[in-house]
Amino acid sequence: MKPLLFLLHIVQSFLGLSCLLLSLSLILPSAMADHSSADDDEAHEGHDDEEVDRGHEEEHDDHGHGGHGDHDEAEDAKGPNGGKLFHKGDITLELKIHEQGVAPQYRAWISDHGKQVGSGTGAQLEVSLTRLGGQVDIIKFNRGADYWLGDGVVEEPHSFDVSVKLTHKKQQLEWEFESYEGRVQIAQSIADRANIITAIAGTGTVSHSLKLYGKTSVDPGKLSHIRARFPGSILNVAANIGDFVREGDVLVEIESNESLRRYQIKAPFDGVISNRHANPGELAGQQTLLTLVDYSLLWAQLQVFPSQRQHFSKGQNVRVKIPGLSVNSEIKHILPGSGTEPFVIARVPLENTNGEWSPNLMVEGLVEIETREVDLVVDNRALQRFRDWKVVFIQIGNTYEIRPLTLGQVDDKVTEVLAGLNPGDRYVVGNSYLIKADIEKSEASHDH
Amino acid sequence: MIEAILRTAIDKRWLMLSFTLVILASGLWSYQQLPIDAVPDITNVQVQINTEAPGYSPLEAEQRITFTVENALAGLPGLIYTRSLSRYGLSQVTAVFSEDTDLYFARNLINQRLSIIKNTLPDGLSPEMGPIATGLGEIFMYTIEAEVGAKQANGEAYDSTALRELQDWVIKPQLALVPGVTEVNTIGGYVKQYHVTPKPRAMLNFGISLQDINTALQGSNSNRGAGYVELNGQQLLVRSEGQLKTLSDVEQVVIKFIDGSPVTVADIASVGIGKELRTGAATRDGRETVLGTAMMLVGENTRTVARAVAQRLAEVQPSLPPGIKLEAVYDRTTLVDNTIATVQKNLIEGALLVIVVLLLLLGNVRAALITAAVIPLAMLITISGMVKTGVSANLMSLGALDFGLIVDGAVIIVENAIRRLAQSQAQNGRILPLKERLSLVYEATNEVIRPSLFGIAIITVVYIPLFSLTGVEGKMFQPMAATVVMALIAAMVLSLTIVPAAVAIFMSGKVSEKESRVILASKSLYRPLLITALKLRWWVVSAAFLLVASSAWLSTRLGSEFIPQLSEGDIAMHAMRIPGTGLDQAVSMQLLLEERLNEFPQVDKVFAKIGTPDVATDPMPPSVADNFVMLKPRSEWPDPSLTQAELVAQMAKSVRQLPGNNYEFTQPIQMRFNELISGVRSDLGVKIFGDDLAQLVTSAEEILKILQTIDGVADAKVEPVKDLPMLSIQPKRMALAQYGLHVTDLQDYVAAAIGGEKAGMIYEGDRRFDLVLRLPEEIRTDIARLGELPIPLPNASYVPLAEVATVAMVPAPNQISRENGKRRVVVTANVRGRDLGSFVDEVKQRLRQELDLPSGYWLAYGGTFEQLESASKRLSIVVPITLLIIMALLIMAFGSIKDATIIFTGVPLALTGGVFALWLRDMPLSISAGVGFIALSGVAVLNGLVMLSFIREQWRDNSELYGAVVEGAMVRLRPVLMTALVASLGFVPMALNVGTGAEVQRPLATVVIGGVVSSTLLTLLVLPVLYYWWHKNDINNNNNDV
Repeated sequence: MKPLLFLLHIVQSFLGLSCLLLSLSLILPSAMADHSSADDDEAHEGHDDEEVDRGHEEEHDDHGHGGHGDHDEAEDAKGPNGGKLFHKGDITLELKIHEQGVAPQYRAWISDHGKQVGSGTGAQLEVSLTRLGGQVDIIKFNRGADYWLGDGVVEEPHSFDVSVKLTHKKQQLEWEFESYEGRVQIAQSIADRANIITAIAGTGTVSHSLKLYGKTSVDPGKLSHIRARFPGSILNVAANIGDFVREGDVLVEIESNESLRRYQIKAPFDGVISNRHANPGELAGQQTLLTLVDYSLLWAQLQVFPSQRQHFSKGQNVRVKIPGLSVNSEIKHILPGSGTEPFVIARVPLENTNGEWSPNLMVEGLVEIETREVDLVVDNRALQRFRDWKVVFIQIGNTYEIRPLTLGQVDDKVTEVLAGLNPGDRYVVGNSYLIKADIEKSEASHDH
Repeated sequence: MIEAILRTAIDKRWLMLSFTLVILASGLWSYQQLPIDAVPDITNVQVQINTEAPGYSPLEAEQRITFTVENALAGLPGLIYTRSLSRYGLSQVTAVFSEDTDLYFARNLINQRLSIIKNTLPDGLSPEMGPIATGLGEIFMYTIEAEVGAKQANGEAYDSTALRELQDWVIKPQLALVPGVTEVNTIGGYVKQYHVTPKPRAMLNFGISLQDINTALQGSNSNRGAGYVELNGQQLLVRSEGQLKTLSDVEQVVIKFIDGSPVTVADIASVGIGKELRTGAATRDGRETVLGTAMMLVGENTRTVARAVAQRLAEVQPSLPPGIKLEAVYDRTTLVDNTIATVQKNLIEGALLVIVVLLLLLGNVRAALITAAVIPLAMLITISGMVKTGVSANLMSLGALDFGLIVDGAVIIVENAIRRLAQSQAQNGRILPLKERLSLVYEATNEVIRPSLFGIAIITVVYIPLFSLTGVEGKMFQPMAATVVMALIAAMVLSLTIVPAAVAIFMSGKVSEKESRVILASKSLYRPLLITALKLRWWVVSAAFLLVASSAWLSTRLGSEFIPQLSEGDIAMHAMRIPGTGLDQAVSMQLLLEERLNEFPQVDKVFAKIGTPDVATDPMPPSVADNFVMLKPRSEWPDPSLTQAELVAQMAKSVRQLPGNNYEFTQPIQMRFNELISGVRSDLGVKIFGDDLAQLVTSAEEILKILQTIDGVADAKVEPVKDLPMLSIQPKRMALAQYGLHVTDLQDYVAAAIGGEKAGMIYEGDRRFDLVLRLPEEIRTDIARLGELPIPLPNASYVPLAEVATVAMVPAPNQISRENGKRRVVVTANVRGRDLGSFVDEVKQRLRQELDLPSGYWLAYGGTFEQLESASKRLSIVVPITLLIIMALLIMAFGSIKDATIIFTGVPLALTGGVFALWLRDMPLSISAGVGFIALSGVAVLNGLVMLSFIREQWRDNSELYGAVVEGAMVRLRPVLMTALVASLGFVPMALNVGTGAEVQRPLATVVIGGVVSSTLLTLLVLPVLYYWWHKNDINNNNNDV
């Protein structure tokens, strides 16, 4: 009896022990284990809409669309081909935008009682896509090899209200759903506070200009280093540095050594005496006596480097500038440089009757390469990068949506739009980054 | 030995009593030294090494700086791991050391290593260690603002540059000297710089390069001492002055002579006060501001330092120009005061309740006072102990103190003493003479000292598992356990010494032991109950068993959380914009956000730090802002009953309407802890290490795909490693050579032209400002025309940038993270509805099978699962050992396994009450509650001990089991009720308090109160039943059993 009792005691004491052990080891680690998840929930309090976005991304499979949308999660069932599933009765439709290796296209799989519906069945499928702003794309499907293929390319952005119509066995089935990407709602009052400024896309002028640098120089034809024709002694010098002389004015009188006759040297053109190395009584030999320069016309010799060469041609308008002074002129010639340099020289005449310009002055020349009137331009401030695209954001009411653009000519203020936007669309100019930020914000995280 | 001590205590009673003065003095003195804070510091031992590298892109910062620094740290003693971050202009390496490493030792070692690598780092860069502070360090923040209409000395209104100058040169130097402040960190405004901005055309005109200007500026800006000469006995110092002082001084620096005429800086450049390329900004209430943060040195007393800073700030104010306003926006003192007030209130109310209970139940004022005196004395000893062991006073460390438990030992002794005294007086019909009284006190004490000492020892032992916790849990709960243990030991010592001494001295008069009415009523109620219970023992035991079972089931129904979060009373919020957002854009978005938050009537102030402050303690990109929402006192709220959680929900809803921001709500201290502890905060983190970032991301995505197919996975995601467009200027080597340029010529020029180049300093008294050379704003920001930027050639001509380099937008990483010296990308996942261990095993196995990593890439696993694993492992060893120790103690006390087991069965039933109490109050299980359960086990054992030891004595005395059980139980009713009442009432204020910090203590208190109720029931009813039942077979040979 006694050993039995003792055994009972041991068992009971173990019961007590294990009770305490259990409760302790249950409480401590489980509390710890749940810490992380609880903490995580807390940390992600601010990400409710991220969750929604995620669901959305999956639907759009491959490009991680950061759009906004309120989806009925129940609808987001995925089919065997990774598309969206629709059921009615025994008919199942799977719809997918396929974009691997091809331009985005709709593909569909229809099955009835679990069997694929082929072309011979008279089934008809049509999808209409209503985009922001009311544009409707209608896509009709034809039976291809393994699937029903929608005609035409599904243009970016893939953001629309989708309406699906399926006619099969005299049954008219319809489904509607929303599929948004790159779309946000911002209340007008908030947009105003955030300085979101919009403008209407329309025609504009795009000019392409390039900035060149170069020095001014005197027209070589208007610079004369006056020398004596025959060596002799200088009798008289009529002009001094800085004097303005007219063509034909006598400048120097010289008595020839050989003939001992006097002869005069006259000004070959109107100009200013810029240098004088002659005084009465001196001997005139090979040296320059006077330098006569006509400053009324200077040339800006702008350097055109090889990579820029293609843009320049004679006759282009140039705005030549130094601080406080700028004139319009045009390229008269394009000449190779002095030989050792790789650049060519674009020569631009500068009227200088007032003497505002001086030679050997570094000037800036803004050359207008091309100026075109184009049908559609957008303000440069409106352009943002979004994924691999350059986009603007159009505004309709409180809704903003990306418009991926194909761009043409760019200038300092505006950019030509070749495709992706319609004239008359209202798009965001000021603080467009904010719209981008709002669309992409699901990706923003606290990265320490 | 115990007898010896007791005898000494009673013989030398006056000496013993005088020890109270010593305790008092040392306790009060220690209190002055005691570091007081709101929460325990959970930061690990870490050193941040920041290297500012102006202009460096993340890739360059990583390659040139981070890598070198990381390598230098390898192999330091105690180093656990390093992690690093390379960003624009910053490399930050964080070295984490094992907990027992002395921080200063670690810093010293690092310093040594850093000085060795100094030569291998690029010129002009010097790695610096972060402030000697922890996560609790940011104790005080203030803003500097100018009142409307305030004018600078030169008549202009104050702009953010001028305010920043005041902060840097007037305010900061004064605050930095406050004892206990290790750093004053600044964010916001612009550091004043002198800018020389040459125009490219003018430079070409004179054939001057940036280098020429730099050389000219450097060469005309120094003072020089030239020794001394002695003139007729007088010593004259010689000095040559050449420093540039004013803008016009700079303008007049001659760069070059052309045809005899000087070309000065003014000819080719404009000179002015400019703005730095800043990395951070600060805002407040919808406007930009300058924000200073005082950081406390490790181990200082928060309250003292914060107060000293506030005081110094007030002293600084008069030294500022009129119209400048310094305002404290965050002061930790408030929080500390509030939490300490909560703790104090709990403790004092608890103590008062305990005293009242003692008065009521003992029915003797003197006895009650003697017992109550144990409370302050034990508290003072504990404070001295805390100072000695370096435990700070905070919510957690003081949170588990229950005066009920502390006085338990004393209660038992005093109760027995007065019972015996009263009995003896009644027998003798007179007041006892001194000698008799003393010996009676000695006997009475000796009678119960063993069980009560054992009781206290057992309660102490149950806290052992808490000491085995490591990491964050350890830092939170070890101080708590340490404090409780210290208090209990103090109480134990007191009840051995001072309590008997005091009883001997003060219980001199007539000791009336009138059983108070409460006790009499309980006794009359208890006897029939006990007798019934003894009759219906089957029912009683099965009911108890049923209760335990149902509570076990109930405990799985309770939710669970880690630790109830301390509500700091203020809200911190991360506002996150998309990566790559510029600082100015972020500021404008931030201002909108703050306007919105200010609309809440509960909000007092809103301020934010955007990007990285001066000292990169928290290197955030400009796209992230740390918002601090300071709330008004509750009484000023329109609806004071609104909880903070509800307010946060309202705010979240409101700010979510603002476009472009994501939010995370947290609290200031919590936020800082999270930032510092960092690491992987999910259950599982799979880290991929390797060289090529693109490959890392690809592999990470593969891993993500595999993870997503595993059962139980939740929130799996890849750490965002996003490439952002970077303006890349790639030199065309051929073309460069043709123009006689080297690649570095081009790079130097571009760096100086766009980023700016330092060309010396301008001194204004103490204040010193960089003299920076860079191109005018309109040129350096004109990206479209960047290709046309002329680059001067050695022969005084030029070549456009596009001719010698390609300018392109190229995606590049905006940040590179590394760990243990290698680039890494982390895939994180949580686990739901499955146990962590098997999940992790499956992940490891699946990845081994399915993942194809290129050579040179490897995986590592991290996350909280590691801590959980190690914690469970440790607990599964420590908890049984603890139980064995308790068992051993009990067996030692009784010399009987059977009795020890009977007492032990009390534990589950005690826990039952705790579980029910939690359930009733709708609280989840948490570690705090767990600590409550631990305390409870101790109380349960103690009660059982007291009860059983008396029953045994009775049985031994009169050999009649039934009578012994009933009589013994009746005698012990009072002490059991008393210990139970004091233990539970001591916690009542804690359970009901709603002040700051109360949420952490509430579960603990709730568990103890609930548990004590059930434990008392058990001790009074089930325990005697069990004892009777198990021993009735031994009646014949009971003597062998003892």
